[in-house]
Amino acid sequence: MPTEKEFQIAPIVQESVMHNSKALYNLQSVTASLFGVSAGILGLESYNGFLFYVVFTMLTSVLFYALHVAPTSIASGKGALDTSRYFRGPYELWTGGLFNGLAGFILTWTLFYGLVRA
Amino acid sequence: MTWISNSVTLFGVVLLAHACYSAQEHSALQSFRAATSTLTSSAAVSASLPVDITIETVVATLVLCVGLVVGSPPLRPIQWRVWAGKVEREGEEGFKGSDGEVNKDYLGNPFKALESRPGFIDIRKQRKDFAEWVKNGSDGSGAKN
Repeated sequence: MPTEKEFQIAPIVQESVMHNSKALYNLQSVTASLFGVSAGILGLESYNGFLFYVVFTMLTSVLFYALHVAPTSIASGKGALDTSRYFRGPYELWTGGLFNGLAGFILTWTLFYGLVRA
Repeated sequence: MTWISNSVTLFGVVLLAHACYSAQEHSALQSFRAATSTLTSSAAVSASLPVDITIETVVATLVLCVGLVVGSPPLRPIQWRVWAGKVEREGEEGFKGSDGEVNKDYLGNPFKALESRPGFIDIRKQRKDFAEWVKNGSDGSGAKN
């Protein structure tokens, strides 16, 4: 955890933090619902469905990193996989989206499973 | 450049809707066949989804993923010095949303107060900027600094 002194030396812009986490949250929610639709169409059952969700959410995070974070972050001298230019910790980008999209995923998954299986 | 992400997303949605309809028709057809045939068919309907519908669903999901990620708004740096540098260099253009308008939560240049200190004003540059602004027909923010 960065100390108060580090916050005085290198302050954090609150508006940017909110904007970034809102963008990531919206993306994760929408993609989670869409993965639910796909899982319902494919007729995936219990463990397969959750595995599908985890794999595709990780893929979305990697894609988001590659398209939005990496170009400017690496150009400004940070190492690969370093998200500190835009996010306050690595977990927010890589694993945070798993839990806030899970509800939407299960909702659309059960809905479309029931619809498509007649 | 948002039209490209919107069109890719729309294409993905259309593909996914087509796959959904195909799967629904397939399962309706299977249950119809099972109802009218005298043989006892197995209950594992989900295992017999045709390969092309599966491929279409996965491809539609990937296309939608790409379209949505490209369409999400650009991120802003969170360290104050990097953000302030960006504001000074790019002004308002660095903070335009996807609809071309400046975002509502954009606070403006934090150094504006410093630039209007009386002992540090560069009056010739400001006169030149003002003349250019008048020449450009006063579109844009119209600020003298």
